[in-house]
Amino acid sequence: MWTQVSQSLHESMARVISRIATLLPGILAFILAVLFFAAIAWALAWLVRSFLKGIRIDERLARGTNAIAEWSPTYTPSTLITRVVFWCVVLIGFLVGLEAFGASSDNVLSTRLLGYLPNVVGAVVLLILGNVIARFLSRSVLIGAVNMNLHYARLLSLGVKWLVLVLTAAMVLDHLSIGAAIVDLAFGILFGGIVLALALAVGLGSRDLVSRSLEREAARPGPEAVAEEKFRHF
Amino acid sequence: MAKLELSEETKAGMEEIKQADLLIAVAAPVEAEQLRTAATRAILGMDEQSLGALRTVVAFPGVSGTEPMTKVEMDLEEVETHDRLRFLPYAMPAGTPSNIPWLPSASVYQALFAMAREMGVSACAVIAPDLAALHSHFLGPMMAPVLEERCELAMPLYALGKFDGLLNSSILAPAIRSLYGRRVRFPLAPDFCFSGKMIPDMEVALQRTIAQGQSTFWPATEAAVRERGICQVHVDTRHAPAEGVDLSTVMSETVGSLFAEMTLNAPLWQRVRGSQPLVTVGTPEPPPADVAAADTTPMVETFQLGFRNLQEVWSLVLPPVTLLELKRLARPSTERFHMPDELWVRIVYDFGLAYRLRTISRSHLLGALTPLYLGWVASYALEVGNAGPAEAELRLEKLARAYEEGKPYLLSRWRWPDRFNP
Repeated sequence: MWTQVSQSLHESMARVISRIATLLPGILAFILAVLFFAAIAWALAWLVRSFLKGIRIDERLARGTNAIAEWSPTYTPSTLITRVVFWCVVLIGFLVGLEAFGASSDNVLSTRLLGYLPNVVGAVVLLILGNVIARFLSRSVLIGAVNMNLHYARLLSLGVKWLVLVLTAAMVLDHLSIGAAIVDLAFGILFGGIVLALALAVGLGSRDLVSRSLEREAARPGPEAVAEEKFRHF
Repeated sequence: MAKLELSEETKAGMEEIKQADLLIAVAAPVEAEQLRTAATRAILGMDEQSLGALRTVVAFPGVSGTEPMTKVEMDLEEVETHDRLRFLPYAMPAGTPSNIPWLPSASVYQALFAMAREMGVSACAVIAPDLAALHSHFLGPMMAPVLEERCELAMPLYALGKFDGLLNSSILAPAIRSLYGRRVRFPLAPDFCFSGKMIPDMEVALQRTIAQGQSTFWPATEAAVRERGICQVHVDTRHAPAEGVDLSTVMSETVGSLFAEMTLNAPLWQRVRGSQPLVTVGTPEPPPADVAAADTTPMVETFQLGFRNLQEVWSLVLPPVTLLELKRLARPSTERFHMPDELWVRIVYDFGLAYRLRTISRSHLLGALTPLYLGWVASYALEVGNAGPAEAELRLEKLARAYEEGKPYLLSRWRWPDRFNP
């Protein structure tokens, strides 16, 4: 019996080693593809950076409204463009490497996983964009609400931020095809619930409270109203 | 850069006029009949020995559907039509319209200066669309020093109350004084006069302003940068309170433009030390009747609300020392609310630097300055509440000197932003 067990183990090990040996060329091809494309990405990024500096794109876009700088003030437009070019080429290399890896693999599971990876990449991009938009909008609402002397400015800002983030999360999950119907339903219920609650609060339940709050806000002489009476800023 | 091309109608009107000595330009749409009446009274009523003898053209934005007015018929006993006064409608150039009614966009100024150049005028006056300059004793005193070549740019000295023009008194005027070394009291006045000799320089400055995507034109800054003579003239013009524009919008336009000019002219203002008083012409007008001390509580509350909610934004712009002082100031006690000049000056300079470095979005940056500005206004109002106009003016002079004394701080932060990076 021990001989049979040993023989089975040897056969299993041999199959595993054989499988690894089958995959090794694919892994090697993947690594080589990624490294090769990373080198191309680096060279292309250098070229793009030189070109953008040559045409002084940062100075040109700095004139007037620069949407890129407004949404991402930390990085200059040339830096952002260079990085986008670099990572796009690296991503292409990654996909080419996966293709090479997949060709050497006849495993159905591997093929499906490889086909799923672009969805993951798209979801990551969505997540990043959603975060940037949420941060920008929440700060805009915060500053605007403070200047309008609204005491619930921070609450408004958080609300806007979380609304955008929830929307982003729903889009990401939808893109990843995770729990499609459930996510759609949950999102619809959540947003619909918020809107319905607000409608009920304004229309029925908190009618008096909202009415008094609105009257208080309308009647309150804000700092600018006082300025109109006594102070003339301009 | 290519010069502005005037519209065909404007060129046709100018061809008929051919030449003029003075151009009086209204930079925003006005009611034509009102303008005709006010201009006729103001210009033709002037002494013939002074400006009354000069050929004057009044340019105003042409309104569609009305006939271009090229001559004025005097409604006095004489039937004869005077050629000393002509009206010239012009087409407002297409471009980004200004968000502030009394502050025309740079492209409008470009059209006005092009007309002045084409007509070869000796002097040009730009007046605000409320025509207050024509209803007061403005044109004669303002034009005289320019025509007599005592200066090339004449800026008005309005007689304001102690609570008037606070944005100008707290930020614009003292900052311009500190940066460019000229003590212009109203650097962004809606009415000003300049010599025909300055037109080429002004056109170059405007082209640069427009190329940079800016819409606000600073005549005093451009004159200071080009070392042209500037004088100030006491006038009795009083403009009506502005309506329909909120404080944040005005701050965004004016202070944002100031910071943009600061970034653009950095190599120039860094060499300037101190400031020089300007030649002042005329007799100071009495300020309006003193107003009683106003309630500053809403402004202090806005400042405190701003401190509670905007700390994360302010901390990206202001150093910890400044934030600590603001924290002390934000304690809930409005009676002893006092913002020291040095603190306010450092705040303005730090925001200017953050504008240049794009630490945060520029629109957010200028919005975040509003509660701080209201805090300054509250502090100033508490200080001068029971003081007279003269004491208030001295108080503002003290603030202006604080801006000059704080310039080394700006210089060091500007040159080494990372060293003091909050």
